[in-house]
Amino acid sequence: MSTPFTLKDMAQYALTSALRKGVEQVRVTAMQDVSDSFTVRNDKLEKLYQAGESSLFIHLFADGRYGTCSTNRPEEKEIDRLLDTAIASTRLLAADPYRALPPAEKCYNGLIRSGGCLPSDPLSVEAKKKTAFECAAGVWGTDPSLVHVTADYSDSRSCLYIIDSQDLYCFSADTYYSLSAECAVNGPHNTRPSDWYVKGGIAPDAIGIGESAHSDCARLALERALAKRAPGKIPSGYYNMVVENRVASTLLAPVIQAMSGSALQQGSSFLLNMLGKQIAASHFTLKDEPHLPNEPGRRYFDSEGLATKPRTIIENGILNLYFLSTYFAGKMQMTPTIEGPSVLQLEGCEKDLHSLIQKAGKGVLVTGFNGGNCNGTTGDFSYGIEGFLFENGDILRPLNEMIISGNMKDLWLRFLSAADDALHYSAWQIPSLLFENIAFAGL
Amino acid sequence: MDLQTAINIPWKRLLRLALERGGSYADLFFEQTIYHDITLRDGQVNTAGTHTDSGLGIRVLTGDQTGYAFTESVAARDMERAAHTAAFIADSSNPAPQSIRLQTIKTKNLYPVTDHWNDISPERKIPFLQEMNDLVFGADKRVKKVIARLSDTTTFIRFYNSEGTGFTDLRPMASLSVSCIMEAGGKTETASCSRSFRMGGEFLQHSLIEELAAEVVARTAFQFSAVQPKGGEMPVVMAAGGSGILLHEAIGHAFEADFIRKSISIFSGRLGTRVCAPGINIIDDGTIPFNRGSINIDDEGTPGQKTYMVTDGILTSFLHDRISAVQFGVPATGNGRRESFRFMPLPRMRATYMENGPSTEESLIASIKKGLYVDTFSNGQVQIGAGDFTFYVKSGYLIEKGKLTRPVKDVNIIGNGPAALADIKGVANNFIMDNGTWTCGKEQSCPVSCGMPTVLVGSLTVGGRA
Repeated sequence: MSTPFTLKDMAQYALTSALRKGVEQVRVTAMQDVSDSFTVRNDKLEKLYQAGESSLFIHLFADGRYGTCSTNRPEEKEIDRLLDTAIASTRLLAADPYRALPPAEKCYNGLIRSGGCLPSDPLSVEAKKKTAFECAAGVWGTDPSLVHVTADYSDSRSCLYIIDSQDLYCFSADTYYSLSAECAVNGPHNTRPSDWYVKGGIAPDAIGIGESAHSDCARLALERALAKRAPGKIPSGYYNMVVENRVASTLLAPVIQAMSGSALQQGSSFLLNMLGKQIAASHFTLKDEPHLPNEPGRRYFDSEGLATKPRTIIENGILNLYFLSTYFAGKMQMTPTIEGPSVLQLEGCEKDLHSLIQKAGKGVLVTGFNGGNCNGTTGDFSYGIEGFLFENGDILRPLNEMIISGNMKDLWLRFLSAADDALHYSAWQIPSLLFENIAFAGL
Repeated sequence: MDLQTAINIPWKRLLRLALERGGSYADLFFEQTIYHDITLRDGQVNTAGTHTDSGLGIRVLTGDQTGYAFTESVAARDMERAAHTAAFIADSSNPAPQSIRLQTIKTKNLYPVTDHWNDISPERKIPFLQEMNDLVFGADKRVKKVIARLSDTTTFIRFYNSEGTGFTDLRPMASLSVSCIMEAGGKTETASCSRSFRMGGEFLQHSLIEELAAEVVARTAFQFSAVQPKGGEMPVVMAAGGSGILLHEAIGHAFEADFIRKSISIFSGRLGTRVCAPGINIIDDGTIPFNRGSINIDDEGTPGQKTYMVTDGILTSFLHDRISAVQFGVPATGNGRRESFRFMPLPRMRATYMENGPSTEESLIASIKKGLYVDTFSNGQVQIGAGDFTFYVKSGYLIEKGKLTRPVKDVNIIGNGPAALADIKGVANNFIMDNGTWTCGKEQSCPVSCGMPTVLVGSLTVGGRA
């Protein structure tokens, strides 16, 4: 940070200044983030990238009206100029009685109020670069089909302050390290099928720094790319579907979105009026575990300061929770909960992906989605997929140019089982999933 | 970082620092953006935002290798640190240039603004959103909710490179979107539509509000009668306008020359070969006045231009940035674009479209015994190496015995780029540019647009019930 301001100073100055200018309530979010990235293509450094940024986002509640402003220039003069403009604009708007700071008793009440800064960087530039080079070297020159390998090391260190005029004080500091590899190989008809593999987590050991394991990334990406050569389609029909862990959250995302206050309050959610009702198979349970240590996505507060806590979102197929911020809860005459999930966990009972495939008998293993969307109001969905046909537990051949379609409400009633193989590099830890009789369009 | 800082920056010193380790090229990209948004929800305009963002990105090239760093700070030591960091991509004894003579590029302004957004108060914007709300509610008794949002950005750019090229650009962007929710017979349906142009306050026209209001009502009402069709392979007639997403996904990305120089694209090595029927011309154009995808000059100093990617069915040009143009020994095509100063430029599309053909839409539909007609879309995607592309259809009709019959909605369509391009059976003479808020998400977000006359593709895989 080049200015005399620290992140905390920035936030405090903005809050005090806004109140001095006549705003009744204010919340200020200040963020600082530093990141590095090194990309190696084949045996050469292709890109190095370094970023350092900060931002200040201010929520203004003036005369019963609501406006926002933000800047990445942490200077008193800039903050004051911005506040003057934003407050004047806010006062021109219609009053909105539901815009307010969250109830204080539901907010995070952290005890530590001093300090807080960016986490230190334990790795040297050379170590980061070396990691990317070693990853690519794991496959480069090993297979004549390989067109290219791209290995990417990246990290970020960030910190966040949220303060408001109700004496809210939130601080968090986070780190994330990732190592990924993408391999493209020669396929028939001038095609270059490609695939990727990624490792990540909040500490360098998540990507194998200091071990030889990080070259596995490229090897696994290459294996996956080679397996995708010469894909085809199968006849349209209903098939059992296994969705691999690394892409399974794609199917859960529309359900989480449908639980959000913004969709529910507008009536544009297929889960409207479904609280306490069956929305998934009776053996489906989904939890939010925001306080698990060492997991990406862990947090003690959301973006308006509401305190997080462990929750069972869907229990035995019954919907237990809507994600309601203060604003949408007020509009719906409900109590605020939390703006969204933190660390999603879905427990699987099958050992691994192979066990799921065996359980399914015959069907399609989906390893990637290619486009598609879900209508959040009706739940109708249609997604392009790639993957493999399997039978009796054996992978038979690669598939592409196929599409699954249906309705989300029906899909999750067709959920049969999950594996115990959730990946821990992202906040949504969704394992491989098995569904029965899903509509596939192909030949 | 403000405008005055950008103008007074010690650019020669920073470029020399950037090249101190032997890089072959460096550029500085200053950017300041002021962004406003205002939203109508539940009948009232009750949210507004004012946002500023500024910084300096420094890029160093050595061959096809890139070093990139940016700073948001105005302090000399922070800018110098960014230059030092970017310089680390190189490690050679090439001497840094001792002197750089600045030659400022002047181009025709494709988006002149007389009514600047920074001078426009929310007071002037609010009645337009309120009018939108009233028109939508007044048009259909089934309307239950309306959300309308107006946003504008004004971006000032100042650029210098180590070859002495400099330019300044002022890029406006205005976007208006509306979504509508209707209820009837126990069903709820929603639809949305948008318009976006590189314009100042001239964008605010009552005719635009009327057009969007009528469109969103019609789109939402349509949903009540539409269903997901039976899926499978079938001929697809793509209506004029937003169907240009086919070109963006199936062809455009695979023609971006970063994928070509790395031999990743399925079109690698196919320059000069026939990729579709004679008579078909496909263009990527940065020169359409006020178009969302237009650029006076790209983000690395090449003037915006009109690039024929396919001419009379022959692949005639890829979309180049500086790196690929040097590698292929061709002029850059003005496609080096970036989301902001935080990102390095990449080959990106601008306005991608197909020129008119000789057929009529009616004749293309009439030629199909059983197929699909599609006219509105929400999103798409492509796998560059495999060539498989998809786009998501929000509305269309079944074609049965040469006529449009059952309304359909919410299906994904998937195909293979080279195969679909070669399988274009007919092109109509009714070209429309779609001026929605199309945003391309290749690593970074970039505003683009697309358009097409009605086109018949012989066979694509359509999602739906089995």
